Amino acid sequence: MAKTSRFKSGLISSLIPFGFNVERWGYVIHRVTGVILIGYLAAHLFETFQLSMGPGAWANTMSALHSLGPLEMVGLWLVAGSALYHGANGIRLVLNEVFGILMGKPIMPVYPYSPTSLGRNQKLAVWTITAVVLVLWLWAGLYLLAGLGVI
Amino acid sequence: MASKEFSLMRESWSMLLTYITALILVFVLTIHLLLESPLTGVPLEATLTFGYATGNLMYYKVVFGLLLFAAVIHGINGLRVIAIEWLHPRKKAWLVNLLAVVLIGFFLALGSYTLIAVT
Repeated sequence: MAKTSRFKSGLISSLIPFGFNVERWGYVIHRVTGVILIGYLAAHLFETFQLSMGPGAWANTMSALHSLGPLEMVGLWLVAGSALYHGANGIRLVLNEVFGILMGKPIMPVYPYSPTSLGRNQKLAVWTITAVVLVLWLWAGLYLLAGLGVI
Repeated sequence: MASKEFSLMRESWSMLLTYITALILVFVLTIHLLLESPLTGVPLEATLTFGYATGNLMYYKVVFGLLLFAAVIHGINGLRVIAIEWLHPRKKAWLVNLLAVVLIGFFLALGSYTLIAVT
């Protein structure tokens, strides 16, 4: 019983980044967007598979998707935002973890243990990514609204 | 001890694969999105027609093949890592790994069939 509740509390707290630094926020958002993208990938593969079944099957799939109304575009907008964030943050992670860029030089750990890996450049990179992703996400939203004929 | 070292090495390989597929995805996904974007001058609704969609699949088979391979490996491996970190299946990690391999095989087969069948 205790083991189960400890497991649940660990699971929930791993998804709540409040009170932590930007790196932890990035970690949580990266995972959540990754799971959204995996769900979309599976759906997209099944959707594209309909092309091999002929024009009739494709038309049926498209009409089923269009029957969702604005929800279809909202879903695509969420996927676009997820892909933009996951991709941009992923590039930052590769630069950090593979090439050591923006990591800072190692120093002796002295209280209050401010990590050099979260220095000014790293924070600037995180906020730049966030700003660029938000602008592109807004643009994707406008494009999808135009597709709906709203604007 | 030997099995622990092997296990760590295996995860390192999996991480390396994640980085490589991530870099491939950045380039290939950009091409995929550009083919569907307003930069082509084709309206959104028109990109969803049977002719346009099959045309893209026919003419860019290598791009889509690479995209399929990278996205499936990267995505399912990511899901596997999340499952192992959250569930801590100490004795049944092999089951999560096996499930991941089965899912990778299934999605690669589904996507490959689509790429081959659309001519």
